[in-house]
Amino acid sequence: MVEQVNSFAIKTKNVSVHYGNKMAIDDVTINFTKNDVTSLIGPSGCGKSTFLRCLNRMNDVIESCKVQGEFLLNGVTDIYGDSIQVETLREKIGMVFQKPNPFPKSIFENVAYGPKIHGLASTQSELNDIVMESLNRAGLYEEVKDRMDDIATGLSGGQQQRLCIARAIAIRPEIILMDEPCSALDPIATARIEELINELKEKYTIIIVTHSMSQASRISQRTAFFHLGKLIEHGDTSKIFTKPDKEQTNDYITGRFG
Amino acid sequence: MENTHTDKNFEQKLKQLQDDLIKMSEIVEKQIEIAVNVIKTKDSQDAQLTQNLDEQVDVAERDVRDLSFEIMTLHRPVASDLRLVFTALKVSKELERMGDHSRNLAKRATSISSTFDDELIEQMYSLGRNVQSMVNQVLDSFFKKDELKAKTSWNQDAEIDKEYKSLLKNLIERMHNKETSVVDEGTRPILIAKSLERIGDHATNIAEEVIFNITGHYIDLKKSDFE
Repeated sequence: MVEQVNSFAIKTKNVSVHYGNKMAIDDVTINFTKNDVTSLIGPSGCGKSTFLRCLNRMNDVIESCKVQGEFLLNGVTDIYGDSIQVETLREKIGMVFQKPNPFPKSIFENVAYGPKIHGLASTQSELNDIVMESLNRAGLYEEVKDRMDDIATGLSGGQQQRLCIARAIAIRPEIILMDEPCSALDPIATARIEELINELKEKYTIIIVTHSMSQASRISQRTAFFHLGKLIEHGDTSKIFTKPDKEQTNDYITGRFG
Repeated sequence: MENTHTDKNFEQKLKQLQDDLIKMSEIVEKQIEIAVNVIKTKDSQDAQLTQNLDEQVDVAERDVRDLSFEIMTLHRPVASDLRLVFTALKVSKELERMGDHSRNLAKRATSISSTFDDELIEQMYSLGRNVQSMVNQVLDSFFKKDELKAKTSWNQDAEIDKEYKSLLKNLIERMHNKETSVVDEGTRPILIAKSLERIGDHATNIAEEVIFNITGHYIDLKKSDFE
């Protein structure tokens, strides 16, 4: 098979991660296709969040964490190499966390902060446009347009999470990492985020960690199942949820943990 | 041994679904056995029994349908569980049709005159026995998840078709020759043979569902695969 380098947003090879002496990821190789939503699933402690955090070097701040293996952005840029600064990397690979974490500032300032520090706007008008466009894309603009100066922490949980997504896309990333973004939300807010993810994949590559199997099956084109630090199976979501190749995958997604 | 579900309620319902199907299969197998015997015995009480059993089959089909619906709604099965529920729904429909054919053929067989040609009766009975054996085999393959057995039973249908065509040819030839005992029966023996042949077709459909349940794929079987 001829491999199309540019069709992958991120390529990884032989990735292993240790926390001190403890192995968290064991020789994982996986590629993420551009403009796909990929769900990383598996039981707690299987390494899916650790793996996700490796993709934009969030583990760098953990002293005992040692990351090995190859990580290529767009098939060429070494994510852990000297050719890219961590700040630039995180401009390209944004992240949304489990718990909405808006800054204790106004709604406007939350979204404007990233473009400001990354120098993406040279005038106030440009900055206004970026903020409005990002809030629009996150499906939040109509709800907050009349109270842009209100403090962001006053928004509901679902709105805060969409604000965090707006904040992530304001710096024009190519990839968005999401670590259980709906686990603190009610079903309506969850449905809104899922709808948003479906819209966002037109422009971005999305890699999401989720504990909800039904969420993985609803929103992602590809699913990767991790267990005890190993990648057990990775494939089309429709195949994983109808006829997975591995018995271990079948057991996990059908709820046979015994 | 297969791992068990953490959700015991779900586990119990999947087991119940399989038990319901086993029960339904047993009734239909019994129905076919009695109906095939009626070809020879013309026993009207037995024919009535196939009618009574058919009512049980209809109830069993509704049970499988309702439980499948409940499992899909409340437990949202995926992968092997989803395939099982999907297969159960389709297999129960095929079994229900087999039951109808058995009831109809038994009823018609009681009306066949005692002067009807013995050789033709023997030919119909032999076709019936082979169909019965095919049905037993394919249902066994379902409950034992035996892919090879399903494919083998699927392949038996070619023999059934051959036997059916030969019987039909024999009947038509005798009508051409104006053999009174055959002409007087009209289309009755043809319809009996057709019911048997249709039961064979439903058994092949079940074989295809069994293979899907095991492999996750509908495969285009060719008769030469297992010859």
